[in-house]
Amino acid sequence: MKLSTKSRYALEGLFYMAVAGREDAVNIKEIAKETNLSAAYLEQIFFKLKQAGIVRTRRGAKGGFVFDRPLADISVGQVIRAVEGSLVPVKCVESLSACKSKVRYSCVSRQVWVELSNAIARTADRITLEQLQKEWYEEQKGGSSR
Amino acid sequence: MKISTRGRYGLRAIIDLAMHMGEGRVSLGGISERQDLSLNYLESIFAVLKRAGIVSGMAGAQGGYLLAVPPEQITLQQILETLEGSLSVGEEQEGEETDLRRFLREHVWNAIDAAVEEALCSTTLADMVERIDLKHRSTDSAYL
Repeated sequence: MKLSTKSRYALEGLFYMAVAGREDAVNIKEIAKETNLSAAYLEQIFFKLKQAGIVRTRRGAKGGFVFDRPLADISVGQVIRAVEGSLVPVKCVESLSACKSKVRYSCVSRQVWVELSNAIARTADRITLEQLQKEWYEEQKGGSSR
Repeated sequence: MKISTRGRYGLRAIIDLAMHMGEGRVSLGGISERQDLSLNYLESIFAVLKRAGIVSGMAGAQGGYLLAVPPEQITLQQILETLEGSLSVGEEQEGEETDLRRFLREHVWNAIDAAVEEALCSTTLADMVERIDLKHRSTDSAYL
């Protein structure tokens, strides 16, 4: 049940921004360099994050991306939804009509997918960038863990 | 993050099998009819489930399958791992391991994996059958 690289790269890019500890905007080139990801791909991903209101662009010589809302209001779930469109592992969870089976109204397994989606969403929506940033700083301070 | 066709169809098929096992071997033809799944596809799914020791029986016109283990001992996790492979949302070590990547794996992706595992390990095939029975009974009584 792999997540697409889009989600993982989106979170890596945002997380880099969160822990870079900078007031000014961060440009894609820097994010790409520091995360070892392709700038062109990150560009596409950040376009979606911008559409979702997670980041916005700042123009000018020191242009780049800044967060468009507090880190406490950006959860992993929102980041995944912004780039993948959805968190559910089976389409019928969101809309039963997405299932073309004749037996969809008496489906014996849909409940499993609903519960699985809930478990994923509960976890992904609970983890915020603010919390990750805090834990990252604590780990860095602890220092010796690696 | 998607469950494949094999996982979706396979789970439906094995729940159907568990529901009808009381009458002895369950034919794939019957499952195909009740679940609106192609016989060919069911043959390939049951070959996988049989190899994993979850069902026993044989293919073919005279064939039919049974659970190889009591349904109380088969979790949804086992079934889906058999059909899907690893259920982890994380990558199989691709690209270079950076500190950020390691941190996110430990703090985010592993946490999601744990939630998935918890949800799927805590439900057995017997639980599924019982729940479906209950649902049928409550729908039936609504018409009384």
